[in-house]
Amino acid sequence: MSAPTRLRITGGAVHDPANGVDGDVRDICIEDGRIVAEVPAGSPTLDARGMVIMPGGVDIHAHFASSSCNHARRLIPDEHAADPAPAPSLVEGLARSGTGGTVPSTFTTGYRYAGLGYTTAFDAAVAPLTARHSHSELDDTPCVDGGIFVLMGNDEYLLRQIAAGERDRARDYAAWLLRATGGYAIKIVNPGGVEAWKTGQRNVATIDDQVDGRPVTPRAILETITAAGNALRLPHPVHIHCNNLGVAGNAATTLASMEALAGRRAHFTHLQFHCYGGGGGQPWSSAAPKLIEYVNAHPEVSVDVGQVMFGPAMTITADAPVEYLLHKSSGRRWTNIDIELETGCGIVPLTYKDKAAVSALQWAIGLELFLLSQDPWRVVLSTDHPNGGSFLSYPALIQLLMDRSVRDEQLKRVNPKLLAGSALADGLAREYTLNEIAIITRAGPARLLGLRAKGHLGAGADADVTIYSREPDLARMFSTPRYVIKHGELIVEEGQLRRAPAGRRLRVAPGYDDAVLPDLRRHFERYSTVAFEHYPVRDLPGEPLAVG
Amino acid sequence: MSPSELGPVTCLGCGCGCDDLRVRVADGRITDLSPPCPVARAWFGDGRVPGAVRVNGRDASVQDALREAATVLAGAVGRALVVLAPDISVQAQGTALALADRLRAAVDSATSDAAAAGLLAAQRRGRAAATLGELRNRADAVLFWAVDPGPRYPRYQSRYAPDPVGTHVPEGRSGRTVISVSVGADRGPGSADVELVLAPDQEIPALSVMRAVALGNPLGELPAPLDAAAAIAGRLMKARYVAVVHEAEPGQQQARDRYRAEGLLGLANALNGPTRAALSSLRAGGNRNGAEAALTWQTGYPMAVSFEGGTPAYAPDRRALTGAEAMSAILVVGAAATVASALESAAAKVPVIVVGPRASEASLPARVAIDTGVAGIHEGGTAYRMDDVPLPLSPPLAEAGARSAAETIAALLEEVLARPERGTG
Repeated sequence: MSAPTRLRITGGAVHDPANGVDGDVRDICIEDGRIVAEVPAGSPTLDARGMVIMPGGVDIHAHFASSSCNHARRLIPDEHAADPAPAPSLVEGLARSGTGGTVPSTFTTGYRYAGLGYTTAFDAAVAPLTARHSHSELDDTPCVDGGIFVLMGNDEYLLRQIAAGERDRARDYAAWLLRATGGYAIKIVNPGGVEAWKTGQRNVATIDDQVDGRPVTPRAILETITAAGNALRLPHPVHIHCNNLGVAGNAATTLASMEALAGRRAHFTHLQFHCYGGGGGQPWSSAAPKLIEYVNAHPEVSVDVGQVMFGPAMTITADAPVEYLLHKSSGRRWTNIDIELETGCGIVPLTYKDKAAVSALQWAIGLELFLLSQDPWRVVLSTDHPNGGSFLSYPALIQLLMDRSVRDEQLKRVNPKLLAGSALADGLAREYTLNEIAIITRAGPARLLGLRAKGHLGAGADADVTIYSREPDLARMFSTPRYVIKHGELIVEEGQLRRAPAGRRLRVAPGYDDAVLPDLRRHFERYSTVAFEHYPVRDLPGEPLAVG
Repeated sequence: MSPSELGPVTCLGCGCGCDDLRVRVADGRITDLSPPCPVARAWFGDGRVPGAVRVNGRDASVQDALREAATVLAGAVGRALVVLAPDISVQAQGTALALADRLRAAVDSATSDAAAAGLLAAQRRGRAAATLGELRNRADAVLFWAVDPGPRYPRYQSRYAPDPVGTHVPEGRSGRTVISVSVGADRGPGSADVELVLAPDQEIPALSVMRAVALGNPLGELPAPLDAAAAIAGRLMKARYVAVVHEAEPGQQQARDRYRAEGLLGLANALNGPTRAALSSLRAGGNRNGAEAALTWQTGYPMAVSFEGGTPAYAPDRRALTGAEAMSAILVVGAAATVASALESAAAKVPVIVVGPRASEASLPARVAIDTGVAGIHEGGTAYRMDDVPLPLSPPLAEAGARSAAETIAALLEEVLARPERGTG
C-alpha cells in the first residue's frame, strides 16, 4: 500500500481521550492527511482487529535538534560507535544511515521517534543565536513535525527591559524574537542564574536574589516573561525550568516560583529535577507529594515529569552552572559554551545507577509525581531526553506506570537509602490505564501545546495515528508499534519503517509593536557580533500557526 | 550598470565570519569593500569565477558532466572518497553527505590536522568555550597563546577582543588586560600589557604550571620562566572573565607540540574554578566549521567518517585524504585548491570529480570538473563562524549568473539515485 489518500482503519480499540473514546472498537477514517468522519465505500482498509489505536505521540520536551545537542554528539564518539544505525529499508526516498547512543544523529532520531509511534516533538531549549542551526537539524529529522522553544530567561535585552520596568517593550521583544527564530514557545531556564554564572556570581539561590547586581530578580524575570507570553496568547504557555535544578532542598524554590505565578498559565518542566527536600545538612528526600499537591490544586499549572531511567544519559542544558557542579562532583567530561547576550550551554555525560542512592531517589520521585497526579491532562510523560534517559526508554516508563508488579520488582533492586518514608516505598497501588497513557503521551501534551489538530482522532485532526499490537509485555508493546501513520501516510508497516517523509515545522509569528525595533537595532549594533539584518531566520518551511 | 553598494555581507575569508561588510559592485564585479580587511579583499577578489564544465578536459554540457560523474561514482560504491572542501554552504555540504551515504564513501574535509588534534582533545576532555560575542562583552583578560591574530584574522581583535566596548567592558581595550605568550617562532601580539616568551620545550611545563595554579595546587619555588607563567595564571584568576585565544590551524613555521591543545583545554577548564574562562580556537574560513557541524548532526562525528560499512564509522587517525590512492573514485565538492596537494598522487590513478568554485582551474587532473559560484559571493545558504555560530550568507553577486554549488551537488545526487543501487565492492 503506498501513500493512500484515503484509508479506513477497522476493528481496533480506539483510545482517543480528547474525544471521550476509551477503547471503543470503531473505524478511523483518513482522507488527504486528515481524520474524517467517513470515507467512501471501497476505500483501502487496514485491519486493526485486536489492536490498540492511539493518536501519534507528542513529545513536549526533548533535546534533539540544537547546537547544544551537536556539541553533545561531538563528545561521545564511543557511544556512536557502539550503536550504529543502518539505513532503514524504505520503499521510497533516500534512506540514511546514522548513529545512536544518548544523542543520536538527526535522521536516526526521526526514524527512532517514528518507530516508537511518536509523530511530533519539540526541542525544548534553543539559543536564539543558533536557531538557524536548529532548523537545519529539523530539516534532517524526518517523520516528526517539530518545533523549538526559544530561550529568554537570561537574555540581555530582556534583562535590561525588566530592570527598566519596560514590560511592554519586553513583550514586544519576546514576540519579535519568536518570529525571528521561527520559535514555537518561550523557554525560561534558571532565570537570572545563567547570567549570574557568566558574571562570576556563579548562580542565584532564591527567586529574590539580584542578578549581577542589577535591579532584576528571578521573580521579576518569571513574572515579566510569563505575562508577555500570556499577553501574546501563545498556543503554549511559558515553559519554565526553575532555579536550583538538581540541588537538595530545591522544592522550596520550585514552590516559590509556582506561587509567584499563581493564577497565570505556566508550564513547569522536568518537575522531578526540582522536587527535592533536604539540604542544609539534611539528607536528600522526596518532595513530590508536596509539589504535586500544588499542581493538583492549580488548574492553570501544567508540568512534565522528566523521569530518570537507569542507564546512560546525557545532560544537556542551558543551565550551565548546574553542569559545572555536576562536572566537579562526577569527574566526567564537561563542555561549556557561553552564548553571547542570551544564554549558556553545559553538557556532561552521566549514568544513572539503581545502586546509587540519589539516582534511586530521582527515579522514585518521578514515579511519585505520575502516581500522585490527579489530572493526567496536566502531567506529561517526559524523560527530558536525553537528560533523564533516552526517549527510547518511554515504553519502559509506560510499563512502570501501568504495571505495579514490575514497578515493585524494580523498587526492590534500587538503593533504598534515601527512600525511607517516601510515598513510593510506602506503596502506591495506582496503575495507569491505556487511556491515561494516551493522555500523558498524546492528548495532554497536544492540548497544552495548543496543537488543535494533534493528539486526537476526531474529524479534522492530522492523521497521525499509532497502532499497537496487544502484548502482555507492555514495554515491548509500546516500543514496537505495528503501524504508524503520519499525515495519512503509512510510515511503519508490520513494525518496520517504510517511509520517512519530512516533518512539518511548527512555529508561531505573534505580532508586536514596531516601536521596539530602533532601540533593538541600537542594542545589536553596540553589543552583538551578528548584524541585525542577519539575525532573523528566513525561508522556513510552511506557515506559522495562528496565534490567539 | 551603475555601481551599487551592498551590505551587510558575510565574509568567509577567515573563520571570523564578519557579517558587516559593505561591498561595492559595478558591472557584475566587486570593486571595493569596507572595512578594508586584506583577507576579505583576497577572498572576495573581484568576484569573477569561471563557469566551465569539462569532461576529460573537454567542454561539456552540465547534464553530460553530471551523467559522467554519476557513472563514475555509482561504479565506486564502497570505494569512493567524498571531500568537503571550503567555500560551499552547509546546505551543499549536507547534500554531499547524503551522496556519500548512498555511495558508502569515506568522507574527509578541510579540517586541518592541527584543528583535528584540537577536536580530538576536546572529545577526551570536554571544553570550556564561548561564542565570540561573549569575549567581546565580558573578557577583561585576554591571553593570546602563541598567536597574533593580526595576519590571518585581521579583524578578530577589533570585532571580538580586546578592542571593542562590551556590556561588561564599557571601557573597551583599556578595560582589559592583554597577555601575550610567544612560543618559539609562534609570536603573540606585540601590543600586550604582559608578555612572556617561552622556548618550545618550555610550553607544556608552563601550561602545566598555570593549570596547577588555577586548581590551587601547591607549587614550590619555580625557575624562570615558569615563575612568570605562574604569575600570569595568578593574574588570570583575578580577572572576571578570561579569554584564552589560540591558533587551531597549522603554524606557518614549525610543528607545534601535540599536547598544546590538551594543555590549553586543561587551563581554560581549570580557570573556571576561581573565575570564568573560555577557550577561543582560531579557525580558517570557507565554512570549515559548517562541514564539521553537518557531519556531526548527520553522522555523530565531526570529521573523518566512513560510510563504507553501511553506517558512519569514525577513523580520525586514518584520514581518508591520505589514503585516497586506494579509492576507485574521488569527489571533491567545494574549492578544490585547498585539498589539491593532498590528492595529487591519488589523482594520477583515480578518477576525480570536482564540483565547486574554480573546479576547472584546479591542479587536479579531473575526469569531470563543474565550476560553481562561491558560497557567500554568488550563492546564499548558511555558513558557520569559527565559534560554530551559523550565519546567513548574503551574496553580493547573486545575480551574476554563477552556477549554484548546492543545486549542482543536489542534481548529482539525483543522477546517482536514478541508477540502480549496487552492493559494496
